[in-house]
Amino acid sequence: MTYIAHSDIAQDGLLTGVKVIDLTHYIAGPYCTKLLATLGAEVIKIERPVIGDPMRHVGPSLDQIGEDNESTTQRSGETGAWFLYLNTSKKSLTLNLKNPQGHEALVKLIESADILVENFAPGVMERLGLSYDSLKSINPRLVMTSISNFGESGPYRDWKAAEINLYAAGGLMNITGEPEQEPLKEGAPLAQLGAGQNAMVATLAALTYAEDYDEGQHIDLSIAEYATNILENALMQYSYSGVEYSRVGNRGYGRAAWGIYPCQDGYVGIIAGPDQRWPQVSHIMEREELADPRFESRQGRLINADEVDALMLPWLLDHDKVDIFKAGQDEGLGFSYVASMQDILEMEQLEARDYFITIEHPVAGKLKYPGPPISPQLNDSSSASLKSAWIYKPAPLLGQHSQELLSELGYSTNEINQIGSSEK
Amino acid sequence: MDKPQPLKNLRILDLSRIWAGPYCTKLMADMGAEVLKMESLRVYDSHRGPVNPARGVVSYPDAEPGEEPWNRNGWFNCLHMSKYGITLELTEKLGRETFEQLVSISDVVIENFRQGSLERLGYTYDILKGIRPDLIYVSMPAFGNSGPWQKYVAYGIGQEQLSGMAYMTGYTNDGPMKSGINHGDPITGSHAAGVLLAALRYRRRTGEGMFIDVSQQESAVSLIGGPLLAYQMTGQEPDRIGNRSPNIAPHNCYPCQGEDRWVTIAIKSDQEWELLAKSMEAEHLSKDPRFSTNASRLANEDDLDALIKEWTSNKDAYEITELLQYHGISAMPVFRGPDLLENPHYRDRSTFVEVNHPQVGPKMYPGMPWKMSETPGLVHWAAPTLGEHNYQIYHELLGLSETEIGRLEKSGIIGTKPTGSRII
Repeated sequence: MTYIAHSDIAQDGLLTGVKVIDLTHYIAGPYCTKLLATLGAEVIKIERPVIGDPMRHVGPSLDQIGEDNESTTQRSGETGAWFLYLNTSKKSLTLNLKNPQGHEALVKLIESADILVENFAPGVMERLGLSYDSLKSINPRLVMTSISNFGESGPYRDWKAAEINLYAAGGLMNITGEPEQEPLKEGAPLAQLGAGQNAMVATLAALTYAEDYDEGQHIDLSIAEYATNILENALMQYSYSGVEYSRVGNRGYGRAAWGIYPCQDGYVGIIAGPDQRWPQVSHIMEREELADPRFESRQGRLINADEVDALMLPWLLDHDKVDIFKAGQDEGLGFSYVASMQDILEMEQLEARDYFITIEHPVAGKLKYPGPPISPQLNDSSSASLKSAWIYKPAPLLGQHSQELLSELGYSTNEINQIGSSEK
Repeated sequence: MDKPQPLKNLRILDLSRIWAGPYCTKLMADMGAEVLKMESLRVYDSHRGPVNPARGVVSYPDAEPGEEPWNRNGWFNCLHMSKYGITLELTEKLGRETFEQLVSISDVVIENFRQGSLERLGYTYDILKGIRPDLIYVSMPAFGNSGPWQKYVAYGIGQEQLSGMAYMTGYTNDGPMKSGINHGDPITGSHAAGVLLAALRYRRRTGEGMFIDVSQQESAVSLIGGPLLAYQMTGQEPDRIGNRSPNIAPHNCYPCQGEDRWVTIAIKSDQEWELLAKSMEAEHLSKDPRFSTNASRLANEDDLDALIKEWTSNKDAYEITELLQYHGISAMPVFRGPDLLENPHYRDRSTFVEVNHPQVGPKMYPGMPWKMSETPGLVHWAAPTLGEHNYQIYHELLGLSETEIGRLEKSGIIGTKPTGSRII
């Protein structure tokens, strides 16, 4: 499926007609508003003049490649990989919120908005004269979603954190990694992204309420709390029996033959599930010893984990990851493999489902972007005019839509030039 | 007077099991949706654990499975709070009639069976739409409802690998590492909840239901958009670099006083590094040419980390955190079970809540992962025991007579005691 940017006006998507003022930057907030924007809401990303969302300048980016090449040293701030991904389908309006005119323009936009999402540190919105209470008085139906590291209240409210600290405070880090080594964070910023996802859920539930009862509200979402919310049994076993969960490396907790193993060309996930399929493993790996009754139960495999691993390894090291994955799946076992970025971009299942979307960006060019995380399929017989649930457009250039948006608000060209670029 | 919950008019018939689907419906249930958690007495949700578990399994209260272990498992009980528990056999004629009655009064049906399982029982979206024309049907098999892998099975652990998350997670110069949980599940559940709310809004405007195809794998790939774009720009696969950042140093997890105690520290600027050096009472380090610029710190990161480790290793993780946060530096201890449940910040925010389950007693559970100012979401009641709400739902909601309910019970179509349990 290929979408080429053709128009800047959202006309499609499940959330058509919803207007979102986006005061977010970096990762968690932008992922929330990316989901809203690609679902068809009009998302107006307010950015600081000149610099914009600091994520514009975080690499990898084409700018960095340009730096190696002496002829193109200009940093565009338009090609940060994460920025491009997290800001698809949004509009960019540059405003200096500390300047009275910039502030006034923002307030005008908020008057007619359904949703405002922000992820400043707690207290910043108040200092900008944009507290929920003051915004509620100009737009009682407004849903305002605030995403912060530790939330808007409590003793850690003003503490600073990066992804690693949030992963640690959420309890996830303690249970990731080898027992004899330091706890490990994820390579991807999953705490911030997960919090951004949950912020979408909270925001849309509050929008439902606002539309039903004509009353908005303020949502306070903490990234660290998102992490604590997905601990599942790692928290519950401590809560229930006082026994702490620990790090188990690449073996499943309390399981064997349930984890990551090396193979001929990389790494695979050998997963002895569903349980009743275990006997197939001895056929797949051509080792009769694996059919030993001692290994039949989950408990039996756990007690004899080293022996089970040693019996599996020779076959694994002799086979390729995709072949191992399919050999398991063909027997109904949930095997997997550790996919690289290239593996994913070429994965036959994703290709067959037209998952990736090619977007052409004026500076970054044509790239394949992950498509819808969830695929609603509108009825063919639908009487409504909606053609697709998701709308993909390139991330906006800094201030790309300033002119258009400010003139919609009734500002003259002169005023627009002042408001849109003032750094003071 | 209490305000209505935002999703109070929403009824979800929930056939999903394990984690991804249940996490989606838990978020909805805590915001007032009426979630009918439907299970089979022969194959109940495997998070309830085996019918006859060994004693000493720590996911039961005090490691004691008790008389009805399927009602006492923390895995299950943390994901089904605020839901109604009913049982039904879809393989029996009477069960199917009852199911169809339930569908006719439900807004949403959600399932995460292996692809095609419900179709084999005779239920496709088109057939269910015939029963309830504006139905939203959420189907979440591992790889979606099309493509060459559609019949394959996968668990959250496999999705971390097939989505690229595991590839970029790991210690420096070492293999990929799985997370301590299975991120694939809550990521899919949260995406599904958000898109479901968008689909419901679309239905409110148009009267149209829809089929929502969820590939758990695609949902997970959505969280590595940055690295996927970066790979296309640079041709470089992401490196596994443990807890470090490719952009800034220091950024790591350091040992502290006590057994398995750690602190995470992440510097965001040169100024913060100077403050860290000052806090370490080693101001000379920020002038040391090996560490004076970010580039030199990245180049000498092993030496830098060794010096910080020397400083942290005989100090308390909380004391270091307090000291560094005082200076505005991002630091957090690696929280373990007791740190989470006894934490003053989380207590202040009711991050974890005490819920009294009739067969477990009062225990701590994860609460709502965000706060809503007007319609505070909350845990309404403990997870249902198997079939706990059969009478309430079948009699009071569906209007079945006592005789009809008696017939369902006698033929084993509904009940409260398992007649089998296949564990996956």
